[in-house]
Amino acid sequence: MLKIKLSQVTPNPLQLSLECAPGELHALVGPSGSGKTTALRTIAGLNNANTGSIECNGELWFEANEINGLTTSLSPAERSCGFLFQQYALFPHLSALENVCIALYNSVAGIAERQAQAKQWLNRMGIGELAHRMPNQLSGGQQQRVALARALARSPKILLLDEPFSAVDAPTRQGLYKTLAELRKDFNIPILLVTHDLREADLLADRITVIDQGVGLQTAPPQVLFQRPRNSRVAELVGINNKFKGVFTAGKLTWEGCNQVFEVIDKGKIPPNTPVAWVIPADGLSLHNKSSQTSIEGYVEQISTLGQIAVIQLLLNNARHTLTWEASVAEVMRLELEVGKNTHVQIDGSKIHIMPLRPINDPRRFIS
Amino acid sequence: MDMAAILLSLKLALWTLVLILPFGIWVAHRLQKAGKSKSWIEAGLALPLVLPPTVLGYYLLVGLGGKSFLGIPLVFSFTGILIASLIVNLPFAIQPIQRAFEAINPEIIEAAQVSGLSNWQIFRLIELPLAWRGITSAAVLTFAHTLGEFGVILMVGGAIPGETKTVSIAIYDKVQSFDTAGAGLLSLILLGTSLIAIAISYGVFGRQASRNQERGS
Repeated sequence: MLKIKLSQVTPNPLQLSLECAPGELHALVGPSGSGKTTALRTIAGLNNANTGSIECNGELWFEANEINGLTTSLSPAERSCGFLFQQYALFPHLSALENVCIALYNSVAGIAERQAQAKQWLNRMGIGELAHRMPNQLSGGQQQRVALARALARSPKILLLDEPFSAVDAPTRQGLYKTLAELRKDFNIPILLVTHDLREADLLADRITVIDQGVGLQTAPPQVLFQRPRNSRVAELVGINNKFKGVFTAGKLTWEGCNQVFEVIDKGKIPPNTPVAWVIPADGLSLHNKSSQTSIEGYVEQISTLGQIAVIQLLLNNARHTLTWEASVAEVMRLELEVGKNTHVQIDGSKIHIMPLRPINDPRRFIS
Repeated sequence: MDMAAILLSLKLALWTLVLILPFGIWVAHRLQKAGKSKSWIEAGLALPLVLPPTVLGYYLLVGLGGKSFLGIPLVFSFTGILIASLIVNLPFAIQPIQRAFEAINPEIIEAAQVSGLSNWQIFRLIELPLAWRGITSAAVLTFAHTLGEFGVILMVGGAIPGETKTVSIAIYDKVQSFDTAGAGLLSLILLGTSLIAIAISYGVFGRQASRNQERGS
């Protein structure tokens, strides 16, 4: 089990607390400059935070507090982390085999034994026949496989992946996803993945921590995160388009600017007449040709087609709210949607998720 | 032909190389981590490039004269011109190696750290091989420059045959005594040796570059 609690103000703000169980793939997601990589580097020992602690399988790797300062800080070599860099960071003067051998240098005696083990690792990554090639003779995907073999060869206690798939093309990325999925089954260690790609995090991770400006805003399984973001900023960061404001009173949400009221499930924590932000996930929306008692009439403002996916922008007649709806091109054709045409939107109140509108300096927004 | 001068120049160049290269590698490596003092240290090490040889020679003459810092007089001796040669060659030995170390991607070093290597292992297995071109370049420059060094050697060592009279000083002596044929021959030897040294250096790099191109294809 990896337990992390980090806090610092300078040089890069960091306020992060998370746990990652053996076998779990935990993604750190956030925009560029949000502190994801800083967090990962701190865990590996390449940076130190001002205060906090890092504990792995009961062993303390790092500890610092305001009173005693830095009390424990193991070097990167002592921490036993497998680290996969975005740009692979292979040793350019060594062959693929020798790159992996380096990771075995202190743990396996004898060159022959090291080479045999390194070869096994490369075979496992499906690139055994490329063992004697130099890094500049390998494609991006092959280099990342060598880097992965090197990261795992030490039998690390945790695996840290720093945007490892962003520098490779889409088909190679799919292959690497598959390899990672297979490795997860064999290695029962915590895996932390840093990515800015939400779809990637959704596809691979068991849990996601959303980071913004160095602060961990929410940790949750992907489905929960996309359907019930903790606050307005998380909703924004996870790319929820349909985010609105309203006032919430005893199970009823009144949409700002109109009289539309939804019955919403809540836990009774929100006081009456509280201004809230609310989101509706894609599966809470449906479009119909015919109106119903609860539907809202809308005007198709724009249709953007991206391959087989169409993004439809609707201007609702209730209070000129703009709603975005994603559907397959086939569905758009079935509904005979065209720009300028009217349609009827059904919003499922049970799928609405409401969030208090908190000021940006409210410390509660940092609680994850 | 003044064989004694040729052999002395070669001896001086080789001793300079043997002593300055490990020191140059150590200083260049340490300079990467030097803090605010880095600019001042670099400026001090580059001084021999801009100071007139007579100025440097004068200070060395004063510093190495009398009992010197070693307790024995060093001027007009081989040890004296060797120390002078080491000081004059500092920028030629350090700067190419320093640039080579600086050119290594920091992520490569971090990858070595997280691969479990100690600092010494990283230096030996990763940094030194990657800085090899800079080290070769420093060696060639130091060797060729020592063979041709004139002003400082003359100031510190004079022109004692077999002890401090190097090829460049022998050429000067022959010109002074109107032995233009002897001066011409020695100049040709110095020119040839320097050319060969630099050609070897370019040859090594050229082969490396073409190998890299082959690997890239």
